[in-house]
Amino acid sequence: MSTPPAPGAARTSAPAGTGRAPLLRRPSGRTPGVASGLAAHLGRPVRQVRLALALLSLVGGFGALLYLWLWLALPVQTADGRRPPAATVLPTAAIGLGATAACVVLALGDTATRQATALPAAPIAPGLVPALACAAATMCWSLMVDRGDPARGERYSRLVRLGTAGLLVAGSLGLLFGSPAAPTAILAVLMLATGAVLFVLPTLVILWTELIDERAARARDGERAEIAAHLHDSVLQSLALIQRRAGPGTDVARIARAQERELRDWLFGADSAPARDLATAIAEDAARIELEHPVRIDVVSSGDADGLDEATAAAVIAATREALLNAARHAGGDVSVYVERGRGRVDVFVKDRGPGIDPGDIPADRIGVRESIIGRIRRVGGTATVRRGRGEAPQGTEVSITVEEQHD
Amino acid sequence: MTSVLIVDDHSIFRSGLRSDLDADLDVLGEASDVDSAVEAIARLAPDVVLLDVHLPGGGGGGGAEVVRRSPQGTRFLALSVSDSAEDVVGVIRAGARGYLTKTSSGEEVSRSVRLVASGDAVFSPRLAGFVIDAFGAAAGEQAESTAELDRLSAREREVMRLIARGYAYREVATELFISVKTVESHVSAVLRKLQLSSRHELTAWASARRLL
Repeated sequence: MSTPPAPGAARTSAPAGTGRAPLLRRPSGRTPGVASGLAAHLGRPVRQVRLALALLSLVGGFGALLYLWLWLALPVQTADGRRPPAATVLPTAAIGLGATAACVVLALGDTATRQATALPAAPIAPGLVPALACAAATMCWSLMVDRGDPARGERYSRLVRLGTAGLLVAGSLGLLFGSPAAPTAILAVLMLATGAVLFVLPTLVILWTELIDERAARARDGERAEIAAHLHDSVLQSLALIQRRAGPGTDVARIARAQERELRDWLFGADSAPARDLATAIAEDAARIELEHPVRIDVVSSGDADGLDEATAAAVIAATREALLNAARHAGGDVSVYVERGRGRVDVFVKDRGPGIDPGDIPADRIGVRESIIGRIRRVGGTATVRRGRGEAPQGTEVSITVEEQHD
Repeated sequence: MTSVLIVDDHSIFRSGLRSDLDADLDVLGEASDVDSAVEAIARLAPDVVLLDVHLPGGGGGGGAEVVRRSPQGTRFLALSVSDSAEDVVGVIRAGARGYLTKTSSGEEVSRSVRLVASGDAVFSPRLAGFVIDAFGAAAGEQAESTAELDRLSAREREVMRLIARGYAYREVATELFISVKTVESHVSAVLRKLQLSSRHELTAWASARRLL
């Protein structure tokens, strides 16, 4: 078990003080990271650990067995942040492939010499067993060590598989055409079969592990659905009741509402991807404003959420936030927000039920409405209007923001 | 006087709602699960049933099951802590005439009860948003004729948008220069479409709730 020292492995010494580093594998690209993980855990230099393992291997192979067992059993340290450089990624596979190739060539050469010297064909060409072993080892390496390594992608493992299978097939064909006798034919077929299995096996293994993962995820989902149903029936109802009894704008109602929203996000929102679309961003802003002001903001949205360029979205979100702040400060109570996307445009409406302001009455030095809402939207090519509601009091104020999306 | 039956599995919520309702609404009784609700509706024949969307008992269909097992003509106003599309659309398609969240004030609930009792529909901003989404109205789909069930007419879309923006019926009427009665008839038309349309978005929601 003489593995070359991993780059940076010596740096992974145990932290000072009481806490030991957790026992984890720290794969570096070339090595599975057993020794360096052990070294970090024991607080010893990695060289000593490797020496100890090598010495222990002399005692009935104990060191080797321990190494293999740790390799299998230890979880991989994932949040390393340090990716193995690409140069160290390839050699492992290259060594395996090289070994396979060498063994195949050996086997071919062997049969060729036997034929040349007219010896009876050997039952097993000596190079073949190592060739199969090397191929299998390469596969196992790419399957077990490299899988889940963020530095290596799908393409890498496919390359390794293709290489291994290709070498075996080439070897078998060479055998078959080199000496078309019954034993070599059997061997060649065996190699072909192994090559095929090696090519298919990783896919099967991946499918299998995915199946297991999915089953576990489904079990987790079921559990969460049960918890959700329970909380839905108890806690959410109580929170709704508290809000009803306390009335909008009171501290109690605000806290209950914030709690309700958090619980709801946790219960129902965890599965959906955190789509940072316009409506979500506005809803988040609304939630924050609700916490600080005596106001209840309902955000309603419709339409699809795709394709709005970032600058426009940012301007719309910022202008909406300003409108909400205005409503929270000057009107309070219930505020409605409606976000509509579609037909190449985005509309946002913020309506409060306060005393109502007239845009004509706003002093010129009031930067809030003029600059933060109207000016900001005009700069991204849209229009924003502030107006008092029609009809009898309380009229309220409505801010409308409309931006047509540019098509190029 | 409008008679009301409160159906909810939480006794605290039932009593809270009962005390919050306006004095001119006559609460005939309460029920706490699907079977007792169906029985109470048949026995008391209330004008309006305030119905929780999530109810235990029966075949597990919740509030929607109560609606389907009750005699035709019973008017339901759905109340829920949930505002997910499945819940809302499920109970509306089963036949409820309106939908409110449980955080609505007693005053709001009372007003909605009266609207439902007089045969109108009650749309919250959120429900209006769903409707616009479900009928593809935001993407510009529009009905060509009044007989068409799968799309909203231009006027219905306008009304829905204003409701989604937080306008009360009276404000919608002022904004569009039409009478409140006309607004109500537009909303009822949308409700009918919501219940009868076979748009796949709606049927998908409904079948997810085992309504078909």
